[in-house]
Amino acid sequence: MADIKKLIDTLHLLERKVLPVLGSYKTLPEIVSATGLKEVEVMRALQWLENKKIVRISTELKEVASLDKNGLRYVKSGLPERLFVNALKARELSISRLEKITKLSKDELNSCLGILRKKAMVVIIKNKELRVKLTDEGLKWLKKEFLEEKFLKNVFPLDIKSLQPEEQFALQNLKKRKNIIRVEMQKLKHVKLLAKGNDILSQGLGDDKVIDVLRPELLRSGEWRNKSFRRYDVSINVPKIWPGKKQTYRIFLDDVRKKFLSLGFSEMTGPLVESEFWNMDSLFMPQFHSARDIHDALYVKEPKRAKLDEALVKRVKAAHENGFGTGSKGWDYEFDTARTHRLVLRSQGTACSARMLASDDLKIPGKYFGITRCFRKDVVDATHNADFYQIEGIVIEKGLTLSHLFGLLRMFAREFAGADEVKIVPGYFPFTEPSVELFARHPEMGWIELGGAGIFRPELVKPLTGKDISVIAWGIGIDRIAMFKLGIKDIRCLFSHDLEFLRNQKVIGCLQ
Amino acid sequence: MPTINFSLKDLSNLIGKKINEKELKNLLEYAKAELSNIDGDEVSVQFNDTNQPYLWCTEGLAVLFRGILGKERGIPDVKIEKSDYKVIVDRSVKSVRPFICAFVAKEGKIDDFFLKQLIQLQEKFCDNFGRRREKVAIGVYPCKKISFPVYYKAVPPKSVRFIPLDFSKDMNLAEILEEHPKGKEFSWILKDTKKYPLLSDSNNDILSFPPIINSNDMGKLEISDNELFFEATGTDLKSVNLAANIFAHALFIRGFKIYSVKISYTGKSMISPDSSIEKHKLNKEDISKLLGLNLKDSEIKKFLEMARFNFNNAIVEIPCFRNDIMHSVDIIEDIGIMYGFDNIAAAPLANYTVGNTFSLQENIDKIRDIIAGMGYQEILSPILTSKETLIDRMNIKRALDVIEINNPMSAGFSVVRSWIIPGLMDVLMRNKHVDFPQKVFEQGLVNVHNNDVVNDNENTAGISTHINASFTEARQAVDAILRICGVEALYEDFDHSSFISGRVAKVLVKNKEVGFVGEIHPFVLNAWGLDMPVAGFELNLSELFKIIK
Repeated sequence: MADIKKLIDTLHLLERKVLPVLGSYKTLPEIVSATGLKEVEVMRALQWLENKKIVRISTELKEVASLDKNGLRYVKSGLPERLFVNALKARELSISRLEKITKLSKDELNSCLGILRKKAMVVIIKNKELRVKLTDEGLKWLKKEFLEEKFLKNVFPLDIKSLQPEEQFALQNLKKRKNIIRVEMQKLKHVKLLAKGNDILSQGLGDDKVIDVLRPELLRSGEWRNKSFRRYDVSINVPKIWPGKKQTYRIFLDDVRKKFLSLGFSEMTGPLVESEFWNMDSLFMPQFHSARDIHDALYVKEPKRAKLDEALVKRVKAAHENGFGTGSKGWDYEFDTARTHRLVLRSQGTACSARMLASDDLKIPGKYFGITRCFRKDVVDATHNADFYQIEGIVIEKGLTLSHLFGLLRMFAREFAGADEVKIVPGYFPFTEPSVELFARHPEMGWIELGGAGIFRPELVKPLTGKDISVIAWGIGIDRIAMFKLGIKDIRCLFSHDLEFLRNQKVIGCLQ
Repeated sequence: MPTINFSLKDLSNLIGKKINEKELKNLLEYAKAELSNIDGDEVSVQFNDTNQPYLWCTEGLAVLFRGILGKERGIPDVKIEKSDYKVIVDRSVKSVRPFICAFVAKEGKIDDFFLKQLIQLQEKFCDNFGRRREKVAIGVYPCKKISFPVYYKAVPPKSVRFIPLDFSKDMNLAEILEEHPKGKEFSWILKDTKKYPLLSDSNNDILSFPPIINSNDMGKLEISDNELFFEATGTDLKSVNLAANIFAHALFIRGFKIYSVKISYTGKSMISPDSSIEKHKLNKEDISKLLGLNLKDSEIKKFLEMARFNFNNAIVEIPCFRNDIMHSVDIIEDIGIMYGFDNIAAAPLANYTVGNTFSLQENIDKIRDIIAGMGYQEILSPILTSKETLIDRMNIKRALDVIEINNPMSAGFSVVRSWIIPGLMDVLMRNKHVDFPQKVFEQGLVNVHNNDVVNDNENTAGISTHINASFTEARQAVDAILRICGVEALYEDFDHSSFISGRVAKVLVKNKEVGFVGEIHPFVLNAWGLDMPVAGFELNLSELFKIIK
């Protein structure tokens, strides 16, 4: 019984209005008329009651009669034949007089005459004009209800099957007449009280002065002290909302930035539209290098020429041509100064490292990172984007060796891939010597290629810094980890425009 | 990055030791290569290093691996015999394709494995190192058909005819460029010259039309041939000579005897291939400086000889098939590789540094938090986009400041975005079936150019769409952002064809324009196929934080 009491406490005002009539009324139209509520309100209440297993709603396909537009009118004004009879009483009246009194149309008057004559209730007297008079039979009906009138007092829509024989008769009569009754197939909702419902009704709904919404007036008046609160069903589903939130791949990159800052790295940056000088030449990539092909880099139409520090260009030119006094032979070709001024979309984050090395802001010892947007002339598919992020950087201090590079890479593997086990193998990059590639054993993904690194060539470092100093250069590829963490298989999803996907993306545990 | 295929059995035979898959993987690390596929005896390998083309064949790999496995040490002993073979170079090639190197190989046997390797090496070398034949192109011929001397000259395109390889009719050089598949593929190399290179012998039989195609009569190699004439032509003598040396080594390893060829230029002549040994002084300190290792001379010698260098008295001798040594660091790397990266201890970085980022970056992150807090979902879009997205669909008539790509991959990625709202409109277009209201924002770089200057700006934009989306809502957002930044904004009526006139405002902070806000014009909504009103804003954060600072 305690359960029933609790259940009663959850009932909403609408449910409290609907529930008591369910003992006697079973169909939706009946319930609507019995409660005086709107149909939507009754439906809502019934839905809640059904969720609480108090009632069961069943839907049946039935032939039903409902009121058409004349029918609706006659329910209010009375049937034409009633008006006719009432107007006549014991008198004899002309048709035109009747028309004035009853305000019926000619059609209606004619059909009235037909009906009443058939029932032998009127006689027509033909004089100068047509006159009408009730018969004895007709006079009897002045105080008696027609079957049709009785029928119209029903609550519509009406289940035709449930009609008594004389109602059936009335229906047949009315159906023949214009726009009074419409018969159609309809879904009829039936409500059945379940055991819980019966229990509630037998126990009684009790005090209906429960608080539904806690309003300021209730608080101010203190009225809430004398009332109980309607209990909610806290387990039911509520409509979804979509909070504003940051994009998950950017959150991932934000985490990467925080991680680098925490490791003592400072951020570096550079422009998207970059000169060939910074993008490649300053990195000691010869102008004939295959990666500089028209097929790989994206060239810019306008402007045509970058503004550069020409003294620096000269030093880099010398490095390409003869090694710039570093003990190198250089690439031994004629450096094209016009070409170094051409503009491309940055194709590698290393361009920012070169700018950092040549910058007045460079600190030695220093550690730098860049999360840089880069572009390649690639066919975009599940594993290639034309437009992507690279994470690269440098470490500059006196006396750095390959041992320090290995130490750095082990730290990256631990911090970015949670990997204690690494494999470092020889690699190739045009701007580092030695060059290595880093593989790490990710706890969930297994062995992954995590990045590439090396020690910048002296032909690169000296023209940019003016110093003989070792600079570790590194790049880590963590898009695969990002895709794994974000649960996506297609790299294009990192830049997805699918709002449902973005709204449903988890944001917890990006880098962890 | 070149990929080559070979037979593991063939490689094992050349090394003189049976190599299994695991050993191969390990050995390939020394060659900076990766096993990309293995199917029984068929192996496919990808090289990361584009500067060591001698490794792009079984023979070259065998040279390196024999060194690593201790089967041989130091520079391979390849004998090149003197001969009377001669190539006479006419001065007409000077402005076209000036250099040629050549040799003759005899008394060998071409088997199936070797023929495949020969053709593959020729392709990979010319494609990658030879810059698609522009810098170096290679031809190999059955030697017995040639009557020396061979002549290398440049001739007018229609002056000679011959039958090109795999064709049956004779054609002149211009016709070959137009009709032969190789002619079409490589005609770009000769687009700026009036005369074309030609190799012919003393009978006036044409050997080939370098760098395009061999003659079908004179330049077709068969399994039965055991005497070969090799030539490489190109624009860079060192690279052409390198090609000759690499091929001479490969043929020598296959049991051929190599004979040099005298190349006579006008006024001078040289013996080809030039296989002289280059010397490089190696400073021991440089090794410890770069690798962090203190090696004994004997160790240095051992590791260098494994890598097929010679080393005596601090002098490194570089084999003639390598031209990737510019600096001591290139040699020291090979010492490190032979020492084994697994044997090099990791050392921590000793110096303490403080991590810093830019104040703009910090401010940007705060702004993103504020906008997300107002219920906007953040979007990340590609920066490369199309003119259609950026301009046409936004009802903009002219946009002279947009940065265009000269060689785009496709129209969809042909310009750099100049503002962010168009990308957000794309989001709305793709999500008409998704729950409303929809509010999206993005923060990121936009670029425009102004005369000769490119402006990089960090922008942010947000748009909102639902039945009541309005100017008020968008302005409320801008108001809130700027209020939290501690500045007051003025809103000034202006015209922007993407927005409804009279419902768009310029946002001014301290009299400087930092963005705009408004209701998107129905023209634009139509262009994106939207039937719900959209209002939004775009702010230039780079400019805003310059003003605030």
